[in-house]
Amino acid sequence: MDINSPEFKNFIKLSAVLTGYSQFHLQGTGQAALYFDTVKKIIGQNIFGELLETFQELDSKAQNDESILIDGLRSKILSSEKFGPIARNIIKLWYISTWYQLPKEWRDTFGTEEKDETFIPSPAAYPEGLLWPTIGVNPPGAKGQGYATWSESPSVSLAKS
Amino acid sequence: MSLCWAGNVAKLIHIKEKVLRTNQMSQSLTDLITVDCQTVSETTYDVVIVGAGVAGAIVAKELSQQGKRVLILEAGKDKDLTLAGFQSYIETFYGSADKNPNSPYPDNPNAKSPMDDNGYFVEKGPMVLGGSYTRVPGGTTMHWEGKTPRMLPDDFKLKTLYGQGLDWPITYEDLMPYYRKAEYEIGVSGDTEEQKKLGVKFEDGYVFPMKKLPPSYLDQKVIEKVEGTEVELYGKTFKLSFSTFPQGRNSVPNPDYDRGNVFVPNGVASVSTVQYGERCQGNANCVPICPAQAKYDARRTLTKAFQTGRVHYLSQAVASQIEIDPDNDRVSAIRFKRYEDPKSPQFKPGVARGTLFVLAANAVENARLMLASDLPNTSGAIGRHLMDHPFTLAWALMPEVTGTMRGPLVTSGIGTFRNGPFRHKQSAFAVDIHNDGWGWATGSPKTEVEDAVDNKNKFGKELRQTLVSRISRQLLLAFMCEMPPDFNNRVTIDPHYKDQLGNHRPVIHYNLPDYSRRTLAYTRKLSRTIFQRLGAEDYTKYDRFDPAYFEFEGEGYVYKGGNHFSGTHIMGTAKENSVVNRHLRSWDHENLFVVGAGSMPTIGSSNTTLTLAALSFMAAEEMLKDLQK
Amino acid sequence: MTTDNGYNLITTVEELHYYLKQAMKLEHATIPPYITALYSIQPGTNLEGFHIIRQVAVEEMLHLTLVANVFNAVGGKFVEQKDGKVQTVLTAPDFIPPYPTYLPTGSVDFQVGLGKFSPATIETFIKIERAEEVDEGKPLVVSRPVQEHCHFLTIHNGQPSDTFYSIGLFYAEIIRGLNALYKEMGNALFCGDPQRQITPEYYYNGGGDIVPVTDLRSAIRAIRVIQEQGEGSRVGAIYDAERELGHYYRFEQLKQGRYYIVNRDDPEQSDRPHQPTGESFTVDWDAVYPIKENAKLSDYPVGTEVYEAAKDFQSAYSKFLKDIEYAFDGHPEELIPAVGGMFRLKEQASYLMRNPIPENKDGLNAAPIFRLD
Repeated sequence: MDINSPEFKNFIKLSAVLTGYSQFHLQGTGQAALYFDTVKKIIGQNIFGELLETFQELDSKAQNDESILIDGLRSKILSSEKFGPIARNIIKLWYISTWYQLPKEWRDTFGTEEKDETFIPSPAAYPEGLLWPTIGVNPPGAKGQGYATWSESPSVSLAKS
Repeated sequence: MSLCWAGNVAKLIHIKEKVLRTNQMSQSLTDLITVDCQTVSETTYDVVIVGAGVAGAIVAKELSQQGKRVLILEAGKDKDLTLAGFQSYIETFYGSADKNPNSPYPDNPNAKSPMDDNGYFVEKGPMVLGGSYTRVPGGTTMHWEGKTPRMLPDDFKLKTLYGQGLDWPITYEDLMPYYRKAEYEIGVSGDTEEQKKLGVKFEDGYVFPMKKLPPSYLDQKVIEKVEGTEVELYGKTFKLSFSTFPQGRNSVPNPDYDRGNVFVPNGVASVSTVQYGERCQGNANCVPICPAQAKYDARRTLTKAFQTGRVHYLSQAVASQIEIDPDNDRVSAIRFKRYEDPKSPQFKPGVARGTLFVLAANAVENARLMLASDLPNTSGAIGRHLMDHPFTLAWALMPEVTGTMRGPLVTSGIGTFRNGPFRHKQSAFAVDIHNDGWGWATGSPKTEVEDAVDNKNKFGKELRQTLVSRISRQLLLAFMCEMPPDFNNRVTIDPHYKDQLGNHRPVIHYNLPDYSRRTLAYTRKLSRTIFQRLGAEDYTKYDRFDPAYFEFEGEGYVYKGGNHFSGTHIMGTAKENSVVNRHLRSWDHENLFVVGAGSMPTIGSSNTTLTLAALSFMAAEEMLKDLQK
Repeated sequence: MTTDNGYNLITTVEELHYYLKQAMKLEHATIPPYITALYSIQPGTNLEGFHIIRQVAVEEMLHLTLVANVFNAVGGKFVEQKDGKVQTVLTAPDFIPPYPTYLPTGSVDFQVGLGKFSPATIETFIKIERAEEVDEGKPLVVSRPVQEHCHFLTIHNGQPSDTFYSIGLFYAEIIRGLNALYKEMGNALFCGDPQRQITPEYYYNGGGDIVPVTDLRSAIRAIRVIQEQGEGSRVGAIYDAERELGHYYRFEQLKQGRYYIVNRDDPEQSDRPHQPTGESFTVDWDAVYPIKENAKLSDYPVGTEVYEAAKDFQSAYSKFLKDIEYAFDGHPEELIPAVGGMFRLKEQASYLMRNPIPENKDGLNAAPIFRLD
């Protein structure tokens, strides 16, 4: 897998919008290539390619206007019967390192190329889930924060609305 | 000038480095004597122990340090006695999509560890026992949470004081010196002053080896609002009061311990092992595996036993039959099945002989083995009086972010209801504030991510906020309820139910008496009061389709198994009323000791490990007396 | 007191303070190289390498703390007003050496830098840990060519080119100075507030080897703890005074892919140097992030996420040293949360190491920056 390929770059870009994390952060998990391969293998190059192309069109149309991009994402990807389940799976993959078996209806309609089941692609992926930094904690069983840190006030807060 | 003063340092151009005692990188396994079936069959041991969990390890250590020759038979695979083995447990845990108390420990059909509905326990009802234990070296301490409260003096006299359950044949005072030994062995962190307020008695000036683990931020926020809340129970007013739990987890050594002989936690030394022996780092994963090994597990005690050089150790050997000499009713041998591959039912039969025999395989397995061996059973109590601590859970969202999911799983709780006159009517209970949020109740945080993405349709920055709001405010209270011994709650066997190796699977008959149900129901009332005080949003919901659902006085509840299996070979005052005597010696077989929580006639509101460890020290003393005759 | 070369060494408390500050600098100096190599290992791989390096890095922290205890005991100040300026120790501008740097091992045949876990890096670590026999007749202080200048072992009030022959001698001089000053001043030498000491309560890593320093005996013990591990590692044996494997050989195991066996009951029966007979293991030199060596902020394009993250790391490391200094400076209870900061640093470092440097023609990944803000 070539990390300089346009496809990979697009995948990271799409992932950044879906997850709310920067591309640096996503790369920083060390799991980007693994997730790229995992998704591509299971849904197949064709659908994967279509998804990324669709995203790229949205992205260039949006011209760095985030709200346009987000609207586009909802209408063309997240609510799409074909792309929606994949996009939601990509979010979950980044957040809790777990690929979820796609809905039966999806599989019946589009088919998968690899065995599609609920699994964690690599033990090393688990501690890198985005959920943990999101809620300001260490993943249970890894990256402990140090003695007595649990007595301090939390590092996360609710945005004031 | 002369350099004589520099004599012993001048030769050194080393940039330094203190070799820490914990670094046993180069320690060889020569200390650990693993043997084959052949050697075992040709040796007569002073003591043959079944099970390398905390009870078996303590007995092995105590006796081997006194020069006795010991054999340990362990049913599980040997994996975790090396660094790579321990690491593979962690990897297995990381890689498991379903993270449950046994997920680090690979499935072993030849020595299956029970997990809810995994086809090991045969549950005959009417209610479900559930829960788990772990059949690997180190036993269930490999996944225990590590709480180590002592039992209260009154817990030993439940029948006399409250007309419930049974009395012990010994008193709290009899057990006190052994509690100290157990607390040293486990390396308990805690605050004796707090425990005294709950009615625990200590020798003057005694402190735990290490200081208490600091309460979590969540604890502090709950305590702020709830401490001192008054509730009424059978006409008596109780003031809710919080304290920390003593735990088998490294914190800060207490400088006042043992007149300043500061406690130093042991490492797990064996080949190529680096053991941290560090302070708790707050990995929030005490169950099922502490990656920093800050939590005690029985491998530490096993290691000390192995270091004597007098312990033979045979793993993958499942005890299957206790043989009795019909002339004198003494145990003559233990037969076992030695397998190579956990996946294959192939095994070699083996036999172990010795002077004394110790069953230390856990309450369920001890009973199962005795029943399978068709031992004489004067009291009829083998496998009977099966107990556990049923838990009720209540969960809510705090009004503000409390940073849930940090620290050891539990740091503080409410001990107010561990004793009181209400015990005539309903059982005692202890309350934990869970630092890990709703996981036990709802599968959070995983389920929260699923819900936010699939149902709440969140993504991007909104998703992040939703997760903080839904997870970082979580509060889960767990109410651990006492369950008195009941003759009809039992482990038994049935030739229809066997495992792959041809050993009996435990058949469970289990019901909760109203005495406990009343408390389970009461805790819901109490949790409502607490949540109200906190201004917390109550999300507690009991699913009527849960196998552990029950109704009491018109309302429905769900309980969770506590994994504190006990009572299956209780100690007592006579061979007619119990399986073992006050020294854990079988009434029917003079040279058989049955150790573990199965020997406890009641369990109060204390997690069982500390007490069973204390009993193991006590029993080992008696064994030594026998062997020195 | 003068040396063979005619130098005056420690004769005043001020000079003792100076040497102890140098000692802290040198104890810290190997931490960035060790943790850079450590964090470059991909998680879940190279278990042996990870644990061996990690343990050594942890011990560097212990030694830093021990020296801080001695410094506090003899009235050293971590923050002081001097000539109208605030002078600090751990946050002094020259506390972190510019890498690559010579280390004060008495050797100038190699430099230590910040690099990934690799055979070359381990080779350097082995060099750091090597023991040499030195004749007792060798001078305490030698003059070296200026380009071989060591940053730490410079003689107080000496020429810039004058350095100690070895770390051992450097510490020996501190012990001698302690003894000499004690003879002169008695217990007045240990005028520091005992409340400033870091006690085992605040610091332990299993062994609990922290020594609170309140008098001559404990001061010497603290220094000896730093020196001693190597003391037993005479040439020709792999074990040290405590019958445990010397650090040199611990690192060598990684080169050989095999553990040494130390027979603790009968050390003579232990493995011979360079001939380990223990269990073998595989070192996966490829399971490592390809990081930029001795990275500087200027290696990253301004305005990129990598640049910002590297800057953040630099600030975080500076803050870490500041927090440690604050703990040493009379707030021992703050050491525990300060160490918590170290756990977070690891995460930041890992994130950098997994990110390619934008527009880097060698395809290298970023690396953490160890400079004071």
